[in-house]
This record gives sequence, C-alpha cells and structure tokens, in this order.
Amino acid sequence: MTRSISFRDFDWWLLALVLAICLLGIIEIRSATSHTKFAGAHLKQVYWIVGGICAMFLLSLANYQVLLERVRWMYLMSVGSLLAVLVFGQKYLGARRWIKMPGGQHFQPSEWVKLILILAVAKYFADLQQKELSWPDFLKAGLMVGAPMLMVLVQPDLGTALTYLPIAAMGLFLGGLRWKQMLTVLLFVGLLLPVAWVKVLKPYQKERLTSFLNPDADRRGSGYQVNQSLIAVGAGGIWGSSEGSQTHLMFLPVPQTDFIFAAFAEEHGLVGALTLLLLYFMVLMRLTQNAQTAPDRAGAFVVMGVVAVLGFHILVNVGMVVGFMPVTGIPLPLMSYGGSSVLFMFLALGLVMNIRMRRFVN
Amino acid sequence: MATNSFHNSAQKRLLAMGGVFVLWTLAVVFRLVNLQIFQYRDYSDREAKQHDRYIPLAAKRGTIYDRLGHELAASVMVESAFIVPGEAPDLASAVSLVTGITGDDPHVALANCQSGKTFCWVARKADAETIQRIRNLNLRGIHFQREPKRYYPQKELAAQLLGYVGDDQGLSGIERLYEEQLQGQPGAMVISVDARKHWYNRTETEGEPGSNIVLTIDEYIQYVAERELERAIQETHAIAGTVIVMNPRTGEVLALANWPTFNPNRRKAITNEGLKNRAVSDIYEPGSTFKVVTVAAALEEKVTKPDEIFDCQMGKIVIDKVTIHDHKPFGLMPVSDIIAHSSDVGAIKIAMRLGDQRFYKYIRLFGFGQPTGVELPAETRGMTKPVERWSHMSLAAIAMGQEIGVSPIQLAAMMSSIANDGVWLPPHVVAGTVEPKNSPQQIMFHPSEGRRVLSPVTAAQMRQMLQGVVLHGTAPKAILEGYSSAGKTGTAQKLDPATGTYSKTKYVGSFAGFAPVNNPALTVAVILDSAQGLHQGGQVAAPVFQRIMQQVLEYQHVAHDVEISPDRKLLLARRNAKTGDVAEDSPDHLGATLVAAETPDHVSSAVARTPVIATKMQPAANHWQEKEEEVRPLGEPTVPLTAPATKLAGTVVFDQESVEVPSLVGKSLRAALEISSAGGFDLEPMGTVGVVKEQAPPAGSRAPAGSRVVVRLGK
Repeated sequence: MTRSISFRDFDWWLLALVLAICLLGIIEIRSATSHTKFAGAHLKQVYWIVGGICAMFLLSLANYQVLLERVRWMYLMSVGSLLAVLVFGQKYLGARRWIKMPGGQHFQPSEWVKLILILAVAKYFADLQQKELSWPDFLKAGLMVGAPMLMVLVQPDLGTALTYLPIAAMGLFLGGLRWKQMLTVLLFVGLLLPVAWVKVLKPYQKERLTSFLNPDADRRGSGYQVNQSLIAVGAGGIWGSSEGSQTHLMFLPVPQTDFIFAAFAEEHGLVGALTLLLLYFMVLMRLTQNAQTAPDRAGAFVVMGVVAVLGFHILVNVGMVVGFMPVTGIPLPLMSYGGSSVLFMFLALGLVMNIRMRRFVN
Repeated sequence: MATNSFHNSAQKRLLAMGGVFVLWTLAVVFRLVNLQIFQYRDYSDREAKQHDRYIPLAAKRGTIYDRLGHELAASVMVESAFIVPGEAPDLASAVSLVTGITGDDPHVALANCQSGKTFCWVARKADAETIQRIRNLNLRGIHFQREPKRYYPQKELAAQLLGYVGDDQGLSGIERLYEEQLQGQPGAMVISVDARKHWYNRTETEGEPGSNIVLTIDEYIQYVAERELERAIQETHAIAGTVIVMNPRTGEVLALANWPTFNPNRRKAITNEGLKNRAVSDIYEPGSTFKVVTVAAALEEKVTKPDEIFDCQMGKIVIDKVTIHDHKPFGLMPVSDIIAHSSDVGAIKIAMRLGDQRFYKYIRLFGFGQPTGVELPAETRGMTKPVERWSHMSLAAIAMGQEIGVSPIQLAAMMSSIANDGVWLPPHVVAGTVEPKNSPQQIMFHPSEGRRVLSPVTAAQMRQMLQGVVLHGTAPKAILEGYSSAGKTGTAQKLDPATGTYSKTKYVGSFAGFAPVNNPALTVAVILDSAQGLHQGGQVAAPVFQRIMQQVLEYQHVAHDVEISPDRKLLLARRNAKTGDVAEDSPDHLGATLVAAETPDHVSSAVARTPVIATKMQPAANHWQEKEEEVRPLGEPTVPLTAPATKLAGTVVFDQESVEVPSLVGKSLRAALEISSAGGFDLEPMGTVGVVKEQAPPAGSRAPAGSRVVVRLGK
C-alpha cells in the first residue's frame, strides 16, 4: 500500500443520490401507510437506512481484496444457510424463506446470498484472465449461481431467485461469453421454458405470470394488482393526484413495498416518476463509472455485479408497475420498505465505496 | 493509478448493456407518458368509479294540481335510513335492532345488507317517529338521507285518476302515464369507499325536480261526484260505479269518480278492484243510452223526423225468429217518445230504416270502438264489431245498446257531442304541464280539434228529445231546480260470463245527460253496476245525475234558465255564494258566507272557489297550510314542500271571461241596476223598496260575465 485509504475518496455524490432516493422512499412510505396498521413504517425505514449507512461505512473499511480471498468460505456458508432455511425455516404464507433468530428477528438468507454471489462471481471471472470463456468455465460459473438459485426457487421464492440471474449474466457477459455460448443458453432456456410451463407451474402461477398481458380480463382476480397499479399510475396524471385515492384507500396492494413506484407515480405524477427514474439512472451511471476506475478487474466485476442487481431490480419492478412484466414480488431498491432490502443495498454500496477508495491504491 | 479495468471487448459489451438499459428506460418513459397523459382521463375515471358508489336519489316529483291550483298529489321530504355494512361493528344486531322498530323481516333485511354491499336501505321513507327511534339507537354505520315521498293530501280523491307511486315510480293513473315528466332528473348520493368498503365521504347532488301537471279536474266537483257516487252505492248496494263530469264545450273532464276506490297514501291496502279506473278501462253494454246514437244517426241521415210516428207493435217485434219485448206495450209513438220512454221496438225499427252501414258509420263517428285518447293509462277501445261480422240480430241488438261494448268515457263523450251542437271532442283530463317555478303560472287549455258528427240542427233536435226523457219519460228524477236538463237512461242486463246469457238479476243502470238544455254547461254520466232492488237507470243513476248536476251548476254560477219560486231564489243564491270548503259538507253552513259587503277582507276568502279563474293567492295559501298540518304526522317534512308562492303553479284559464262582482249593498235599486249592467251582470232584485241589504255573489268575488247577481232590498 502506497497510500492509506481516506473517506475523501468516498463517493459522496453517489451517497447523496442514494440518500435522495431513500428520502423520497421514506416520504412515500409514510404517505402510503399513515392510515393503515403499518403506520410508522417510515420511521423503521429510517432506522434501517441509518443502520445501512453504518454498515456501508464499516464494510468500506475492510479491504475488498481480503474479502475476495475468503469468498470461497463465504460462498459455502451461504449455500449452507440456504440449506438450513429449507430444513429449519419458518413457513409463512406458503413459503419457507426465513430463519427465526434468537432475538426474535427473522433472517432471510437469500438476500445476503446475493451479496456473496456478487463477490464470488467477480472473483471467479477476475481470476480467469481470459478474453474468451471456455466451455468448462462457462458451465462452472453457471453452476456457481445456479445451485443457490435452485435452492431459493424451491422455497419457493421466484422473485429473489431471479435476482441472481443478472449477477451471473453480468459476470458471463463481461467475462468473455461467446456468442455460441449465449445462443446455447438462449436455446436451452427456449426449450426449457415450455416444459416448465406445462409441467412445473401451477395454474395460479401461470395466471399470475400472464395476467399483466391483459389485466382487464380478470380485474378482481389475477389481474387485480396490475390493474390497480395501472389505475394508480394513470390517475396520477402529469402533476400527481393530491387525493392519491388508489394509495390511500387501499386499492393499491402493498403500496409501501412492491408497488411503491405506483404509489409515488400516483401522488407525484409523471413529473415525480421521471425525476425518480432520472435519479436511478444517475446512480447507475455513477456506479458504472466507479467500475471503470476500479483498481483491478475483480473490483470492476464487483461493482458491475452491483449495477446488474440494482438495474435488474429497477427494470423488473418498474416494468411490473407499468404493466410490462408479470408481478413477481421484486421490490424497488432503496425505496421499498423492508430491512433486508435496505441493508443489502447499503452493503452493496459499501463494497462499491470500498473499491472506489482503493482506486489509487496499488 | 487509475486504469480501465476492462478489455476493449468488455468495454463494448458494457456499452451494449447500457444501450439496452436506456432503451428499456425509454420504453418505460413512453409508457408513463401514455398512461399519465393520454390515458389520464380513462384511468382517473376508473379510479373514481372504484371508490365512488352512486345511489340514485329520486328528484322531487312534480306536483299534480287541479284546475285551480290545488295540490292533488305532492311530494314531501321525509327521511330514509340506510346502513353501511363496512362500518357497522355488528351488522346482524344492527339490522335486527332497526327491523325491531320498522317491523320488517330481519332475515330479509340482513340478507339485503350482507357483505359485498357498500350500502343498503333499512327504513325507506319512514315516518318521523320511526326515524327518531332509529336515530336514538345511535348505532355506528347507520345514516340518514332525505328523500321525497309522495303524498296525496285529499286521500281517496280522484285516486284512480291520479294513480299512486311505488318506491319512486308512478304505478298507475296520471302518475304512471306522466312518469317521465313528473320524475324529473334524478340526483345521486355518492358514497366514497376504500378497498375494504369502509366509507369515508358522502356527497349529494340534487336532482332536477319534475314538471308539474295541471289537470282539468276541479277538486270540488270531483269531491261532489265522489260523495254522490258513494251515497248512491250505499243506497243501491251496487258493487261498482262510475261518474264522469265533463264540460261538453271543451272536452275537459271536471270530475272522474270510481267506486270502489283506495287511498293512495296507504299503498299496502290497495286492491286491484280499487285501482281499476272503470271510467276508461271498463267495457259494458250500454243498453238504452245507446238509443241516442241510433236516433241521432237516423235524424242526421234524414230517414226519420222527431215527430214521425212509429208503430211499436204493442211492445213486440220478431227479429230472426227471436221475439224482443218492450218493458211496456207501446203503441203508436213519435220518435221523441221512443226516446223518452225508451222503446226497444221503436229503436229497432228506426235502426232498420238506417241500415247496417250507415249505423256503423255513426257508431264510429261518435267515438265508439276506439280509445278517446284521454290522458289515462289502460284505456279500452270498447267492443264494436265491423259490419261484416254482424249477424241478423246485430242491427237490432246494437240499436238498443246490446252486442256492443263501450266505456263510460266514450258514453260521456258521445253525450257531450250532442250537447256541443254535434261536434265530438276528445275528452281530456290534463290541461298541461308546467315547469316548476317559484311564481304563480297560468296555463291555457286549448280544446282539441273536434269532429262534426251531427249538424247543429240534429243536435238541437236531439237535445229537445232528450229533455223529454227528463220531463215526461224515464228519468223524472233528473229534473233540476232552476235548470233544464236532458239525458238518457239505460238499464242493461249484465252478461253472465258463466252462461253467456243475459242475467235476470244483474243490471247496469246508467244515466248520461247534460244541462242546461239549450246552452249546456256540463255533461254528467253515471253508471252503477249491479244495484240491488231498484236497478233501472232512471231510478238509480238519474238521482245521482240530478244531485251532481244541481250542485256543480250552482257552484259554477251557471245562470238559471228555468223560473223558480222567489222564495228559493235567495237560498239558491246563497248556495252559489257558498264557495265551499271541499272537506266540509255541512248544510248548516249554507249561507254563512253571504256577508255584508262592508267587510271586503273577509269576503276574499269566499272567492276561493270561483270556478273558472283562480287569480288570488290567498285561498291557495290557506290550502297549503291545511296540507302541512295533514302531512306532519306522516313524516315531519324537514323543509316546506315548496314556497307557498308556488302553490298556484298551475291554474287553468279559459277564454270565458270573469268579472269582479261590484258592491251593491247600500245602493238603491236604480243605482244597483246601473252598476250591475255596467259591470255586465244581470240584476235579480227581491223586493222593490229601500236599499240593497244583501247581495250574492258577494262584492269582490269573480263571476262569469253575464251571470246573475241577486239582491234583497229592504228599509
């Protein structure tokens, strides 16, 4: 080390953008929950964010290179925790996703696995040092992400499992995926999907996945959420609806979590929604810039892994709200209410900061 | 050292990914623009539809007025209670508590209110006490809403004609036929609910009140008709009856009474028999009244003359092997006596001279076999067979009023056309429709285009012959005091539906006529079904005609055309002046309003029932107050129906002019004569010495020009 790390190199701009989004999230959570049994959720969200910021600073201090050295163990631990969930997990609403901690808190391992997967994938591809990906490496990388994904899928938690995909995709894509391999994957998926559709998915799941295509077909059933979401967004108009009746009269489902973008778009209109998208876009640009200035290939891969996960979340969540995509239960990062999601995002940012602060180190 | 950590190819791929992300973002932005700008209206409508529930609220229904602006049907605001199931902590017990007060079935009410509903009525248009008791329960989730409730201040008066109203819809009579005009534009109560059906807001939009309907009916004449009909029913034990009073000159129906009847305020007690508007929907065989058509047609076609002698063959005639008997063995008789004594044989012989085709033509010209078009629902066209379907017996049967079905209104219209110099006018009960306004309005009634059936000469001949019926024929009981009268009796055997033959015990007795003979002011038709004991039209129906005609002619200040003894003149004049409270029928009060002319203030109250024009506000306002008192026990109206000024919203005005009666009291006979002739009145003095002590009608009242003012002179 030629120079000690300093918080002067911390990405304060990025933090400011992130906190701006968080603030909008807090305001919206407060507005959406004030009259429900979740009233006060925005305060909890503040605590989570404060905790997240602390965690971010702490994580930024530990050298990511050291973390990457130990990623193999962390990966094994995370796979173990997923196994533990399947065995000891708390069943809630038909899914086994949580482990009850001694303190009474519920711990959802699948969130943290995401973080470790980012590190593991980064480490793996950084070590390859090849321009083009070999078939064995391709399969290994696939297996590395595929195994935990499958375990989350059987919980079942389709939404979280899907968020592992962009990590693998980003790693593979930047790690030298060949067109042939890409075609193979697409072909494989293309063949597998119809099979899965017929054999694996239950009718209600199919309905849920397709209802976004025609939300009016079953307004009270499978299309309810998409419908209410579209109504909320549409009724927001340009400047937003002061009544916000979709949100405030509880027509919009879970307006503080998965459909927070719809609630925000209703209350603040097109202007608010575009502002928010712009903020997210700036965050992603800033992150990508950090990847390009990373001190090493591994660091760049880590940051791009974060970009992939964040971008995917935004893409899928907003897509769901405006009716482009099926309802999958993926929250909008930084805005949606929920401790796990907030902590993940700030830890991921901690990794990015960690790498940025060491960009002049080497 | 800041290095770029990616290979060149990776850099390109990064750009590609960024491009995909930007494309997707653009797609989202376009989508947002589309949703939030171009489809904004659609989605905000859908949003509103989700949380707003529209409960239509009937607008204030238009008032139905009689020709003088008296309310016959009005709407008062009463309260209804409803439950918002999402708000009530314990719906079942709330409903059972309320039904405990209203007396409804709790299970039905609960099923009505069960979940899924945002709203349900539990006590619709209830009376004030019920509402107060429900209010006192102080239950959560129960709310109140003001709604208009139909109220008939005169109860049974003109019930079949007015009809009645269900929850918010006219179900019979004028209420049904004029539903569209009366109902107005309904308002709405908007209840806003959240996704869990908790309501959080309520707004009301008031509807546009419906138009008011002004009838040609005169409340007082209607009252007289109903009273006399009821009395006749009690005396004769008839099972049903109808009375129609018409102005033959205009076709206006002044009264239309039916028995049995009902009180439209008490919907639950209404029976089908009571609802039946026999005047327009009953078909009956007219019997001898139809001989008017036979003879009038024959006169008009000049196949006979009033004084032509017919051989009535000692009351026996054989038609197609069937022998028809007269009720008396009549011999040689002029046509006028055939009418006066109602000879079947004579009528048949006249009809045979007329022939099928010509007879049928007049039957149709007189309006039989088709609805008259009177503004009432369920009017029958009667039953007339076209000539092709007549049997050998038909001509004879129809000539004496059998084998033909007519409705009472058709009969009245036919008789009116004789009175109206031979012009048939379609009868009307509605003078017009007026928009609700806050100022008195007068509407003009324009008689419909008439149809000439008889020449004026034939009509005059008919009137003379029909007067003979009263003077020396079958209807001596139709003789009036001070007025000439004419008409025709009818006594038809009822067809027994079981056997298809004529009943020997059940008769429809009828009398239709007009008065005064030479300048008819009124037509009255009376039909009594199945009178027991005496059943002849001349015995049972003619007295009803006489009583109604006498009272109404005097009420209308129709000038006498028959000399009456001087002693009775003042009494009659007093009766004229007695403009009469409809609800009050005590003869003790007769003459009480013949007041000294020095107190004009008081006099004005006697003006109220001036028959033709109502221009004074005062009497209507009085009327209004009466009504308010009657309404109160029903539902405690929270606001007055309308401002009292609107009470006169509809009055019927005719071309006939009315003139204010001058004050003659204290004047000498000479002065009185001068004043009254200047004012267009005929003076009828009683006594010759001194000054005028009393006069009738009183000064300041209005009377038709040319009518008579009676004065008593004294020292």
